[in-house]
Amino acid sequence: MLSNMITIIEDNWLLLLIGQYPNGPLGGIVSTLILSVLGIVLAFPLSVLIALARLSHWKVLNWPATALVYIVRGVPLLMLILLVYFLVPLLIGDSVPGFVTMLCTLVIYEGAFLSEIVRGGIIALPAGQMDAARALGHSHVGAMRYVILPQALYNMMPSILSQFVSTIKETTLGYVINVPELTFAASQLNNRLLTKPFEIFAILAIVYFIVCWSLSELANQLEQRIARQRLGEDPPEAGPSQPGTARIQGAI
Amino acid sequence: MIRFSHVNKFYGSYQALVDVNATVNKGEVVVVCGPSGSGKSTLIRTVNRLEPIQSGEVLFDGQNVHAELKSADLNRLRARIGFVFQNFNLFPHLSVLENIMLSPVRVNAVKRGDASQTAMRLLDRVGLAHKAKAYPAQLSGGQQQRVAIARALAMEPPVMLFDEPTSSLDPEMVGEVLAVIRSLAADGMTMMCVTHEMNFARDVADCVWFMDAGKILEIGAPADFFSNPQHPRAQRFLSDLHVR
Repeated sequence: MLSNMITIIEDNWLLLLIGQYPNGPLGGIVSTLILSVLGIVLAFPLSVLIALARLSHWKVLNWPATALVYIVRGVPLLMLILLVYFLVPLLIGDSVPGFVTMLCTLVIYEGAFLSEIVRGGIIALPAGQMDAARALGHSHVGAMRYVILPQALYNMMPSILSQFVSTIKETTLGYVINVPELTFAASQLNNRLLTKPFEIFAILAIVYFIVCWSLSELANQLEQRIARQRLGEDPPEAGPSQPGTARIQGAI
Repeated sequence: MIRFSHVNKFYGSYQALVDVNATVNKGEVVVVCGPSGSGKSTLIRTVNRLEPIQSGEVLFDGQNVHAELKSADLNRLRARIGFVFQNFNLFPHLSVLENIMLSPVRVNAVKRGDASQTAMRLLDRVGLAHKAKAYPAQLSGGQQQRVAIARALAMEPPVMLFDEPTSSLDPEMVGEVLAVIRSLAADGMTMMCVTHEMNFARDVADCVWFMDAGKILEIGAPADFFSNPQHPRAQRFLSDLHVR
């Protein structure tokens, strides 16, 4: 069976890597990663806005943001995908490529989840940070921009990376609306070979595992590093200091 | 310079400040003392509106701090009131120099070069010029508090407020922070300082306010207050300190 799997990979690695490109749309794992990266990159600014709206005292901001987060959290991603898939063409009167549909859905979905992470990161900072910034004359926006968010987002890096890993796994659901990505490529392969479904889907699982596990590991390391830094053992990464000298000072 | 008149503050049904009336004159050093939970910190935090009040007035430089203010006006007001916290509240993601430069540059639109020069001069004044590139986590508590003082001074405030500036310091670091505050007093800075350091109060204060249960019970010159307190609660407070 192992030899079967190796043969399948040898014969079809390009399909799993980039789909039918350049003869068809870009697919495979490259498409999965592009979809995930774009999803999280576009969701991130949205999530910061949602988080700030959720923390706002103004009801006009707070209420819709809270509603969005609760709705998205309470609906399975698959339903959301189907909803966007059928709704968007109705709204704009034209069909949309599956990739775009999936991307929009991911941005909404990840935006809502990330916003909870961002909100948590902001709340977790000592209240004294906001007090100090306001006492120095910064506006609420200025305090957020220069004092609160840089710290909160830095502390949130491991969680954001974990959310990225979830996103990679969630792209598999694009399969139901024929988004050309890794799962789609594997299923094409399965339709062609017909006799080796177990091997094909085992390969698929292994590939996902390798990608997600390495990223999770990275998140863990980042988390430990930030924990060390909070104890003052490591200098923060940001800022124009000379890391070398700072590290020595920190170690003493 | 700062005037409290009929200030009342509630946390729910608990009254934290009860009809506070007092004045800090220009150039004066006022030390606020009293037992824990007496409302000292709450009082000092009403001056720049970190704590809202329910009734009364706090005037700073003739301006009613708790009036309906545009947020820009409130920010401008706060920028003119130096505030030093018990827990320093330095910004841990910025170096010492950037901590001091941030607000002059972002709030007062000072040029970076000028702000950096001012910051270095202030760091020199608090004896920490060699730590300009360090991060707060790499400094001792006393050093962090001195940076916090420099950060507040960088906004060139006409008045400085200290909220228990030495209470979270190890005993051997208290002296270095008090020395900086003393030198500010010697320069004629208007100051209001909540502290438990009675020797410091005796030496530096022009006026001592004694608080308990949200009220100012006694206002007096330090010589009178420490040798001959009038209010029984102040007498008990001081004798308890001496026993310890």
